[in-house]
Amino acid sequence: MKHADDLDHLAGCARCRQRFAGKTLPTDSGERLARKREFIAAAARLERERNDAVDLVARHLRETPTAEWPRLAELPALRNNAALEQMSDEVRKRLHRRPTEALTIAQLSTAVAALIPDGLYPPLVLAQIRANAWKDRASALRYLARYDEALDAASIGEEHLAPFAAVEHDRAIVRMVKGMVLFQSGRFDEAGPILADCRRVFAEHHDHRRHVHSGIAEASVFYETSRYADASRVYAAVLEDAIAAGEIESQASIHNNLGYCMTHLGDYDRANIHFSEAIAKFTDLGFTAEVPRTERGAGLILVGRGQIASGLAHLRAARRDFTAAGMIEEAGLCALNIAAVLVDRGEGSEARALTQNVVDEFTAAGLDERAIAAVVRLRDAIDVEGATAETVRTVHAFVESLRDDVCCVAN
Amino acid sequence: MIPPAPADTLFESLPSLVRTETDPPPRIEDNEFVQVYEANFGLLVSIAVRKFQVPFGDAEGLANDVFVSYLKHRNEIRELHGWLIGAICNASRHYWRKNDRSIDQLDDEATSTQIDPVSAHVVDWLTARIAAGEALAVLSARHQRILRLRYYEGYSIPEIAEELGVTKKYAQKLVGKILRRAAEFFKASGGPMEKK
Repeated sequence: MKHADDLDHLAGCARCRQRFAGKTLPTDSGERLARKREFIAAAARLERERNDAVDLVARHLRETPTAEWPRLAELPALRNNAALEQMSDEVRKRLHRRPTEALTIAQLSTAVAALIPDGLYPPLVLAQIRANAWKDRASALRYLARYDEALDAASIGEEHLAPFAAVEHDRAIVRMVKGMVLFQSGRFDEAGPILADCRRVFAEHHDHRRHVHSGIAEASVFYETSRYADASRVYAAVLEDAIAAGEIESQASIHNNLGYCMTHLGDYDRANIHFSEAIAKFTDLGFTAEVPRTERGAGLILVGRGQIASGLAHLRAARRDFTAAGMIEEAGLCALNIAAVLVDRGEGSEARALTQNVVDEFTAAGLDERAIAAVVRLRDAIDVEGATAETVRTVHAFVESLRDDVCCVAN
Repeated sequence: MIPPAPADTLFESLPSLVRTETDPPPRIEDNEFVQVYEANFGLLVSIAVRKFQVPFGDAEGLANDVFVSYLKHRNEIRELHGWLIGAICNASRHYWRKNDRSIDQLDDEATSTQIDPVSAHVVDWLTARIAAGEALAVLSARHQRILRLRYYEGYSIPEIAEELGVTKKYAQKLVGKILRRAAEFFKASGGPMEKK
């Protein structure tokens, strides 16, 4: 092994760390010793609070009606770091499925964080606590598509951290949310540099998980701005980290995205390899819905790029898997994607048979009658050769819009 | 360096403003923090001083803040040394960004101290005694830029090599050569090179 003062080497080599540090001796100044004592006291307090507050927040949330959650800020027992860490976990758990609840808890977090007395923790820790609460609030607002408010919340988080040099990791965590908000707002020019900087900071801190996530976001910015080569470069870089960290789900997503990039770059062989990798990993994970979705995405983009045979193979595989998973509506929509290609190629009889299958499946599953009627009309139009690929796509869009209607009612 | 005190002893000596009457003594696992601190404090200070030319006293403050910052993240950190090193590097860069206006001269002086790693403390007294800007003034604009990249922007040797489009080995030699040149002029103008 070649020993060196290189920082990456130092991180992994105890002998070189010792040698490197040996040249600089800490002072025994009163100021340094006081800081050290403050560190030890803060460590003891934080650990004690974590040990004493097990399940504290989850219990309060369970036992309190949702409408009264904001009043929990009045409880002195919640005014500490451990409780706020638990609130952060509760926000994270709800972001995907119940973002409104997540926001309520995040608002509670910021209220509680503001009430923590200034002397309870070192100023730096207090800044981290408050910044994290505002970061959670920004995340919840992002999931609710309230982007301006999310940016304001992230900015407040950054302001808390601004006076401190040693919190770049926290700063990057807050700024990553900001970058994601800007990305989702379509402000790609602003999002890109922020996400790139976050990725650098996470990489330097050996925070592989966030390095992967920020890399995926940064690459998505490139993708959205049609910079497919840059996107694939970043995806490939974070794929290594995702593999090293054993993050199979991230690997699957990255392979899927690399498949799209390669398709745009005209490298269909590698696109197919990446799509296949994504499908294999989603299958390993048991993500039954993601497998056919990946297949369908791959199929659509390949068809769009003129790779009809390869695209149809993916679409057929997707339809088969949607059907096997009992996702009848998705299977039907996929069949319409295939039908559009078939009609375009003049293969009306197969398209007609396919639409008939969709009618049968939708009817058996008791789906929306308007959807069934639309597909019946499409079948009849194909019968008399009065349907074009555009007609099929219109019916597809109509059936899909009915599903969106149902989702809106459900929410 | 003072010998590391046992955790209990350290805790007993806490001032009252930190430890309250109701606080129980720290558990045995609190020793973990003391060990992390003791084992890595010198390393972090060394990195801040030697890699980023942060003045020694400020480097100690930054290192301490890195440990305090670590407390919030300890449960999610998978590679402790990687995290600590990343944190001190970023803290050092932030330090220079924040102090940009007021430490321009200090930065120039700091670059000339790299000639001897043992003189890591030199920046503490150099500011007051030497106009190191004169030493740097004899360097070409390119050489000044290289020193700025290395000691102000915190570029590593490989990064400088990439920036200049040269090999790492050549970049390393180039930095050494520039430092020697500046140091020779500095010495000739009467500046001491080592602090005993």
